[in-house]
Amino acid sequence: MTLLHTPSPHPAALPPTSPHGGEVKIRVLSVLVEDGANTLSRISGLIRRKGFHVQSISVGPSRHPGRSRMTLTIDAGHAETDQVRKQLERLVEVIEIEDVTGQLLHSRELVVAKVRSSEVGGLVELGAKVLDSGPDGTTVEFAGEGKDVGDFIDELLHHGVLDVVRSGPVVMRRTA
Amino acid sequence: MILEALEREGVEYIFGYPGGANLPIYQHLHEHPKLKHILVRHEQGAAHMADGYARACGKPGVVFATSGPGALNLVTGLATAYMDSVPMIAITGQVASTQVGRDAFQETDVIGATSSVTKHSYLVTNIAQLPRVIHEAFHIATTGRPGPVLIDICKDVQQADAERITPDRLEIPGYQLNGHVDLGRAREAALALANAERPVILAGHGVLLSRAEPELRTFAEKAGAPVGTTLLGIGAFPVNHPLSLHMTGFMGTGWNLKAVQNADVLMMVGMRVDDRVTARLADFAPKVKTFIHIDIDGSEMGKNVRPHIELVADARNALEAMTPHVGPLDAGRGKWLAQIDAWREEHPLKYTHSNGKLQPQDVLIDMYRRCRNEAIVVADVGQNQIWAALWWNYDRPGMFLNSGGSGTMGFALPAAIGAKFGRPDKAVWCVAGEGGFVMTAQELSVAVEHQLDVKIVLLNNFSLGMVRQFQDDFYGGVRSQSDLTHMPDFVKLSDAYGMPAIRVDKFEEIGPALDAAEKTKGPFLIDFRIDPEANVYPIVPLGKSLNDFWEAPN
Repeated sequence: MTLLHTPSPHPAALPPTSPHGGEVKIRVLSVLVEDGANTLSRISGLIRRKGFHVQSISVGPSRHPGRSRMTLTIDAGHAETDQVRKQLERLVEVIEIEDVTGQLLHSRELVVAKVRSSEVGGLVELGAKVLDSGPDGTTVEFAGEGKDVGDFIDELLHHGVLDVVRSGPVVMRRTA
Repeated sequence: MILEALEREGVEYIFGYPGGANLPIYQHLHEHPKLKHILVRHEQGAAHMADGYARACGKPGVVFATSGPGALNLVTGLATAYMDSVPMIAITGQVASTQVGRDAFQETDVIGATSSVTKHSYLVTNIAQLPRVIHEAFHIATTGRPGPVLIDICKDVQQADAERITPDRLEIPGYQLNGHVDLGRAREAALALANAERPVILAGHGVLLSRAEPELRTFAEKAGAPVGTTLLGIGAFPVNHPLSLHMTGFMGTGWNLKAVQNADVLMMVGMRVDDRVTARLADFAPKVKTFIHIDIDGSEMGKNVRPHIELVADARNALEAMTPHVGPLDAGRGKWLAQIDAWREEHPLKYTHSNGKLQPQDVLIDMYRRCRNEAIVVADVGQNQIWAALWWNYDRPGMFLNSGGSGTMGFALPAAIGAKFGRPDKAVWCVAGEGGFVMTAQELSVAVEHQLDVKIVLLNNFSLGMVRQFQDDFYGGVRSQSDLTHMPDFVKLSDAYGMPAIRVDKFEEIGPALDAAEKTKGPFLIDFRIDPEANVYPIVPLGKSLNDFWEAPN
């Protein structure tokens, strides 16, 4: 485990940058895929060879048996932004795909962090839940959308971050 | 079980090579006399044969290879078919399902190695999957935008007894075809073209794949719009037609490039609009106010050029829907067509033949004079390919086959063999440079074994001609590793394979040599020793715009 003493922001708190330089062309996609041995490598292979770049990826079972729901946050790289959806759509393993970038969404990301401090009131105030606490530090979890996660990670820095893991966002269209 | 399924799919030919991991299939081959197996000499040859077969007759080509090296030898052939949207089924043997992942003998992750060059692929580890997989594979390979599909079958599955051979009903939720044409959009596109002052239509391979040549011709004539084709679209529109612009792109005809660069409405049908078509993208068709793009693959829309009007549809359906909305012509159109005629006069195709050396164009012109449009020409890659594209006046689909997207040297000979199996009624000419020819020359054995009437026209310039031309013109005149002086004597090589061949050095010998090729039954090779300095023109210098094409020096 790496101790993070530096005052500079944790990498997880930095805004995304494009590996190709220049403007970041982020697309958020909600994708229903076939559960299969090949699905993940097909999708990641396509993303690589088209020059896209994954910012985040989260996968879990969907309500349909044999199908999973993926939420992908992808930088289109040098390609036109609509190519991300169009290229993924060509894969036989992809059943449904929706580009939800810029739409009214509930977006939630889970953060689990270990901090040196046992005084985590500031984190709890932001909505964090304490998972455990001991002489070596405190483990907390937090779920929220992009900006809240950023704020939470900023706050973590004041508590001596020992480690932090993030799930990548999952999204759902708003009902209202 | 696999072989029965192939019979059910209407397969006639299999191009293949046996090995450890597909021997169970080969054990039963003789029980299926309807399936004719062509034993190749290298798996790459099998893939190109299946490709040539499919391009020539429209049916999917089928390939067998064993695991590991056998399957990996297919990769170039799969990529060639994938880039050019050719329907193909590759069935590869894989180690037993219990051995997968243990680095067993001749084990390779073939799915992983071929994912980027196949439309889809399957690893079959259980016999119960097989009927569905084979049926799906043929469906996916042949519908929509066609392409190669690979089925990797574990050896134990090949040996298992099947309980059921009838496939399930097709149900592929992730594979939806674009069936209908947006009629409103089609009308909008047609009107945009009809109202253009300077319209141009470019037609690609998609027009041939959807057999839309008659619809394209009707539409173009009614709209009074000139039509150019891409390299792979050759045959989509007759070159001798008054509205023809012949081939487009960075080695296209001068009058085509003039028309494209001055058009106000450009309609692109069944094509990818790749860098070979656009040259420098920022300067492609700079006067166009409305780009119209028709393609069955929605991902082509805006991939390279963002269209103002896009129609994601089969080319034939789209053109059919558009035709009622064009014509009669207004007077302004005559001026545009007259301008194109003037460009055609001003920038004709030409070549140097004053140096007394054998010119490749002379060979092709003589071939065309005798064959007209009754022969299939299969070109390799390089200068020979562009000469064969430009110096025949193709007037129908399926008569000019080449590896356009992938540019695979060594394609021509095996593809010509495959084409002959697919269209035994047609004369088949293989046009190749000596560089590409030796990459797959071992397949001569197949031509000899089956006494196929494949006539090989070797345009032998003792160098990698296109590389040499690029080095001369675009890479500082430094000829680096493009010299091919040490090559076999091709007449002796043919003799070693058991087929006749002659060498031609002079213009006067072209006719008699082609006569001999035509008269001889079975394969025949002519080693044309052409001018080693002969170049391809027109050509757009690398990185330049289509406006900057160079023409043949006078």
